[in-house]
Amino acid sequence: MILINKQVKMRINRLKSTAIAIAAVVYGFSLQAQDGEALFKQTCSACHSIGKGKLVGPDLKGVNQKRSEEWIVNFVKGAADFGAKDADAKAIIAEYGYPMPNQSLQDDQIKAVVAYIAENSPQEVVEEVTAEVVEEVPADPALDPANASDEDVMAGLHIFSGNQRLENGGPACITCHNVQYDDLIAGGLLAKDLTHVYDRMGAAGVNGILSSPPFPAMASSYKDNALTEKEIFQLSAFFSKATSDNVYQHQRAYNDNLLIYGGGGAFATFAIIIFFLFLERKRRCVKEDIYKRQIKSACSK
Amino acid sequence: MNIRSQISMVFHLDKCIGCHTCSVACKNVWTDRKGAEYMWWNNVETKPGTGYPTKWEDQEIYQGGWEKNGDSVSLKGAGKLKGLKNIFANPNMPVLDDYYEPWAYRYQDLFDAPEGDDQPTARAVSLVTGEPMEVQAGPNWDDDLSGTPDYARQDVNFKNVSAAEQDAMFQLERMTFHYLPRICNHCLNPACVGSCPSGALYKRGEDGVVLINQERCRAWRMCVTACPYKKSYYNWSTGKSEKCVLCYPRLESAQPPACFHSCVGRIRYMGVMLYDADRIEQVAASDDSELVDRHLEIYLDPFDPEVIKAARANGVHDSTIIAAQKSPVYKFVKEWKIALPLHPEFRTLPNLFYVPPLLPAMASVGEDGNYDSVNETLLVGIEKLRVPISYLASLFTAGNEGKVVDVFKKLHAVRVSRRNDTVGDVSEKQLNTCMNEAGFDKHVANAIYRLTSLCTYEERFVVPAAHREESIEMLENTGDYKGSVGFGFKEKPARGL
Repeated sequence: MILINKQVKMRINRLKSTAIAIAAVVYGFSLQAQDGEALFKQTCSACHSIGKGKLVGPDLKGVNQKRSEEWIVNFVKGAADFGAKDADAKAIIAEYGYPMPNQSLQDDQIKAVVAYIAENSPQEVVEEVTAEVVEEVPADPALDPANASDEDVMAGLHIFSGNQRLENGGPACITCHNVQYDDLIAGGLLAKDLTHVYDRMGAAGVNGILSSPPFPAMASSYKDNALTEKEIFQLSAFFSKATSDNVYQHQRAYNDNLLIYGGGGAFATFAIIIFFLFLERKRRCVKEDIYKRQIKSACSK
Repeated sequence: MNIRSQISMVFHLDKCIGCHTCSVACKNVWTDRKGAEYMWWNNVETKPGTGYPTKWEDQEIYQGGWEKNGDSVSLKGAGKLKGLKNIFANPNMPVLDDYYEPWAYRYQDLFDAPEGDDQPTARAVSLVTGEPMEVQAGPNWDDDLSGTPDYARQDVNFKNVSAAEQDAMFQLERMTFHYLPRICNHCLNPACVGSCPSGALYKRGEDGVVLINQERCRAWRMCVTACPYKKSYYNWSTGKSEKCVLCYPRLESAQPPACFHSCVGRIRYMGVMLYDADRIEQVAASDDSELVDRHLEIYLDPFDPEVIKAARANGVHDSTIIAAQKSPVYKFVKEWKIALPLHPEFRTLPNLFYVPPLLPAMASVGEDGNYDSVNETLLVGIEKLRVPISYLASLFTAGNEGKVVDVFKKLHAVRVSRRNDTVGDVSEKQLNTCMNEAGFDKHVANAIYRLTSLCTYEERFVVPAAHREESIEMLENTGDYKGSVGFGFKEKPARGL
């Protein structure tokens, strides 16, 4: 218990936002349901629903019946690794195109979430939901990217590129992401290329991820400076535009060559600086000629 | 006016015999230590020659001294921005090979070698590494070697001497050279002080001696680069730079420095000069053509009541003012104007002046086939000197040949006047011509002759004592010691106190 306590303390330091939830898991089973709900909303709901159809990831209604608890724990903690071993997991990853990001949750917490899902799944017989495509419609029609004006697209572009600061001061998307779009410079290669994000995830997925990012790096980046609803709308309008207009964008040739040009440029710069330092330097002893002649005359004797 | 006193020097090159006694005196007193073996705070060079360290005069190589920058001067290779850029690289610093690798001989081998067919030898051992070494160079390696292609012909001062003049000069029968003893110039505008990033170098207020504070020196070695005379040396053992201290402990007790005291040829003169510190920047930034004149103007007349008043107001002691009035340096530099600064174009305003050497003129072969040095114009004219005036002008007047000629006319007139006095075979017409050209009369000629040839110790060195007894009163109340027992006792005397 003391050991767990210690771990808990460490976690509190790291993830202040989940501190209450974790404390609940450790200290009281009665609080688990509430804890599971909080965790689900925070970490899962961006991509998953319970009984409302599939979003970015599958609908989790009745997942507790379909899969064993151990299977779920393994999948949540390391989908990509687990997929290599488990056929079912592999199939799901193949179906959705990419593995679910690894969640840094503890077994207890995952079990709490599963318990929450079990409680909230409708009791009727689980049907296969993979066949039907349920498009999640945002609550406010004004925030549907389909209704976005050109201004919204432009605003999204500026938010993405960092020309327009995020209202709550989060980092610009372009730091880590790239979108192939003529008006943008090449973005970062640290995270996924978002050119086709709208195709992959749809409005609901983009909205979900932006409103509560499930990816660890992104989550910690926007933890204390979340995107506003308007920014999310403008960004998803831009992503929609980027996806639909992708065919008109020019291929960006320097993307892969950046390292070569950058590295070459840096090398050349250093070489020039060193060259000029070398030029100014007194490179030889003033008596070199005399010494050489001394050696020459000594050898010829 | 901001009058300060400066201890200044004159070296009379006509009198230097190149014996290196001064160098040895200095070495024995100051630089006979580990890390200081290669330092020659005083060295004697053969001119034409490359000097020590080799080619020290070539600021294209070493980037020392100041350069004119509008109405002011800036350091050529150091200073704030350049110094920061070079602070870890210092690209123009002389290396040990530009000096020489100091060595000693393993003399003990002469005694310890086992008996054999050959004489035992003492091998040369490096004083830096301790390993046996081949001696390749020394501090006066080109001593008396005028005319050698390696040294004399590499002299930087030949830059403005035409190839024809050089060839003529290096003909065997015309060969000539003179010596150039050098110590730190204790400049009025010292480049070493200006270059130090740690502020370790300073010019003493009371006598203008430039010193390095060994506790503040941080081994940046900017002074080594910046000093155009290369008179700041880096001690590789202590990790501090060192330079000539002008034997200040001796100066403070009214004695001349060791190199002055020991000089065999009595070529050295030392005295106080009063100068106007407010004009240093303005003078250092004057044009090359008038640099020497402006430099000499900065020294003021110690008999002028205005100057005396201003000097007193600035805390210059009366004994120092009296010494300035008796200063032999003032006579050579200001009254007679026959001493010139070494390389004024470095713009450091050096306080060491040289009476240029009136080197032998070419004698003519008379009708009887003998060399004849006495002809119609006694001792020949200065136009027939073996050494090109342009060479000496490069050394002493930043290329202004007229000034060297002026000095030579005076030195020549003194000789003609003395010849007239002692031998009496000079025509009155020639004597008058020489005196007119020199611009002085017989009395001045005699005075120059006396101070040059018959000078006493007291005439050569007029050094006022530093008034320690007064300066300590600024720090302590000497009245506290009145009535106490002198030096005190370590052990009380048996009879009690």
